[in-house]
Amino acid sequence: MVIGACFVLPGQAAQAPQKIFPYSYSQEDLPNGLRLVTVPTEYPNIVATYIVVQAGSRNEVEPGHTGFAHLFEHLMFKGTEKYPHARYEDTLKRIGAASNAFTSNDYTCFYTVFSKEDLATVLAMEADRFQNLKYSEAEFKTESLAVLGEYNKNSSNPMARLSEVIFDTAFDRSTYKHTTMGFLKDIQDMPHQYEYSLKYFGRYYRPEYTTILVVGDVKPKPVRELVDKYWGAWKHGDYSPAIPAEPPQQGARTAHVDWPTATLPIVAIAFKGPAYDDASKDMAALDALAFLAFSASSELYQRLVIREQKLDTLSGSAPGSVDPGLFDIIARVKQAGDMDYVRDQILAAIRTFQERPVDAARLEAVKMRLRYQAAMRMTSSDAVAQVAASYVALRRTPESMNRLYDLYARLTPEDVQNAASKYLVESARTIVTLTGPASGGAQ
Amino acid sequence: MKSLLAFLLMASSAVAQMRVMALPAKSPLVTFRIVFTAGSACDPTDKPGLAYLTAMMLAQGGTKTQTYRQILDALFPMASSLSAQVDKEMTTFAGETHVDNLQEYYGLVRGMLLDPGWREDDFKRLKDAAINNLRVTLRANDEELAKEVLYQNIYAGTPYEHYSAGTAGSLEKMTLDDVRHFYASQYSQSHLILGIAGGYSPSFLEAMKRDFRALPEGAGFHPRNQPIKPIEANRAVIVDKDTRSVAFSIGFPILLTRASPDYPALLVATSFLGQHRMSGGRLYDRMREQRGLNYGDYAYIEYFPNGMYLMEPSPNLARTRQIFQIWIRPVEPPTAAFALRLGLYELHRLIQRGLSEEEFERSRDFLTKYVNVLTRTKSAELGYAIDSLYYGIPNYNLYIKTALAKLTREDVNRAIKRYLRADHLVMVAVAKNGEELRKQLADDDPSPMTYNSPKPAEIAEEDKTVEKWPLNLKAEHITVVKADEVFQ
Repeated sequence: MVIGACFVLPGQAAQAPQKIFPYSYSQEDLPNGLRLVTVPTEYPNIVATYIVVQAGSRNEVEPGHTGFAHLFEHLMFKGTEKYPHARYEDTLKRIGAASNAFTSNDYTCFYTVFSKEDLATVLAMEADRFQNLKYSEAEFKTESLAVLGEYNKNSSNPMARLSEVIFDTAFDRSTYKHTTMGFLKDIQDMPHQYEYSLKYFGRYYRPEYTTILVVGDVKPKPVRELVDKYWGAWKHGDYSPAIPAEPPQQGARTAHVDWPTATLPIVAIAFKGPAYDDASKDMAALDALAFLAFSASSELYQRLVIREQKLDTLSGSAPGSVDPGLFDIIARVKQAGDMDYVRDQILAAIRTFQERPVDAARLEAVKMRLRYQAAMRMTSSDAVAQVAASYVALRRTPESMNRLYDLYARLTPEDVQNAASKYLVESARTIVTLTGPASGGAQ
Repeated sequence: MKSLLAFLLMASSAVAQMRVMALPAKSPLVTFRIVFTAGSACDPTDKPGLAYLTAMMLAQGGTKTQTYRQILDALFPMASSLSAQVDKEMTTFAGETHVDNLQEYYGLVRGMLLDPGWREDDFKRLKDAAINNLRVTLRANDEELAKEVLYQNIYAGTPYEHYSAGTAGSLEKMTLDDVRHFYASQYSQSHLILGIAGGYSPSFLEAMKRDFRALPEGAGFHPRNQPIKPIEANRAVIVDKDTRSVAFSIGFPILLTRASPDYPALLVATSFLGQHRMSGGRLYDRMREQRGLNYGDYAYIEYFPNGMYLMEPSPNLARTRQIFQIWIRPVEPPTAAFALRLGLYELHRLIQRGLSEEEFERSRDFLTKYVNVLTRTKSAELGYAIDSLYYGIPNYNLYIKTALAKLTREDVNRAIKRYLRADHLVMVAVAKNGEELRKQLADDDPSPMTYNSPKPAEIAEEDKTVEKWPLNLKAEHITVVKADEVFQ
């Protein structure tokens, strides 16, 4: 299937909605269930492959195995019989490729950015590790320590701890209860989970969970031929996890973090939000609300950060994950004595959005921003691939981005008011505070 | 075609005293990098952080005609912003906008850089932010903290010594008049490099140049480089704070910059030892891959702040002085001494052995192609072009590829011997129980490793050497400082 889209610029919201993903691309499914999306771009010479596996920390349903999706991202670099780790690294080095991977709640993504003449090499090598990964128990144990090292390097940042506590407090059954890194006790136990890791590979590293994005100086037909050649024999799997649904929250929750070293106090307020949705307006409306209520041009930011100068930073973000996630507001407060005031001001600001519709002109400014922001992110082939991958992770197609931006274009002030009233309610709220020792920042 | 060529030639030549780097291209975006070659090295000795606070007042404050609030409102629908980066020699204002919004965006930028509002309330907010940046943000980031403390120690007694964002004590005393005076004396045409790339018109650039001619022509005081004090013996600084793990940065000054003929050779050697955030480097392989000591280990010959957030270096950090640095990411406290020894052992090994022909070819081939990746966005291409102008070298991409094509293994190994050493260096650790670590490092007792899985004989054998590798640190050369006291 080839989906057409013309090259258009954003900011033309007055006319009929234009496609925000400005590239024509081909989207094809192999008989084994693997999906291939090829996006030719105007950027010369460079190609980016982003391989999305729709398994992230959300898939960690079994107790004691949080953090496993991320651990597995690491294990994927351990090599195969044909391309042992050293040969894999050597090949990437020779072709001057930038290569890495990342894991989130919902997906694991392996990416490589390289010169176009090396496309066959990269696709062959990637196909090999996705099908024939091989590592010993000793290698597994060593790699689990690198994951602990990753936890350690994050651990000096109070935001990392705050994030752990917000999710752990807000959720009971959802796998979003734990962060992508996982619970520390599970990370420390990882060296003993070699057998489980083999099971994990057999479950999720399968064509039906995987989409290959090839973006850059390429043409769809030769890419398809290479993917058929190297990935065609990959076997479909049979596993589908029973991911528990989060029951409705029955009342407001709170938690507090005592941070051992100097920091500014933080007030975090989170509400249970909807799942990612490109078909109805709730999530899109919450995205707009996050800008209207908490961005640098919001009334609250202008007052608390710029005029009264009570806050160092203020931000808000809406969820956009496979399962229902959190709408969160984070405020870094200059003086601990102002924490209650700040909390109350945030809650009061939310009430104003529930009580009356926002000014239509302000909503139009948000729509314009969303379109320019998207267009300005796509400044290289790997940036285009990264944007597309985030939608592929959710709906297995970049088309989801076009659908979502069509929803943004159609938002009304009443949609925003309704979403604020439906989701930002006390019974679905979690407030987490973090403070350090008495000394802090600027006095 | 002729007129385009004439335009290109004109665009990159000097006009009056200001310099212009213009990279027109068919693009829906326009990228700005407006650089003043006046950074924190120009701070008066009693006012570290003045260049930083001045830049923040421009990028995050109001203009004569608009408050900061009005500027934020105007920038919001464009999804654009203006960032400020202050380093020793350069202050860079960078931003990008869609051609639809070019006139309006540029109008804001022009106001911010050429007609600042100097409001007291902006000043108070930004001063608080600058102090919190030091006291809270930097001190909560063990790895960045170790790196900056290393630089501070290596450059002691020179204009490069203080952290570019200043010290908390100095920022607290700073006044709005200090900032206005710094702006008046340092923001001049002779310090200016106007950088622009993307889909703007020739007339737009001409108008921009006219606008910036409003700045004074001459420059204010710029300090002369002072000799860096030699490091007499291995020294260590332990920053003591309550933290889970131990973060290290190790280094020493090198008499080499991008302008030096040996730069490509040493770049190959450093790429072999520890290409940033790549798993193919020697340090990464021996420390993380084989031994599971941490998340990664890398080597540098240029300043590279925010390495934990960036896959590639930010441009416009050009300096007249650079250091060689090894970054050992946080390790579990019981393995700290071993990890430090292994880092030093690998550096020693590189100097003794050099690169084999195969290692040389692999690293050279990597860099020959990797420069394409480094300069793949317009913003990066523009940033590298400005740095090349500063260093007086050709287009970076071309410069590296041409030099690498001619380079031999002998050139690289000669450069290693000439510039690198495994002694007379400064080691910085951020760790809990600093006094204990001091004693451990000074005693130099063996630090044997135990692993959670069997290791190949080669690793076990090497460990016997590494666990006893001399640190050569005398107790009097190890300083323990509380985290709350650094950059105070």
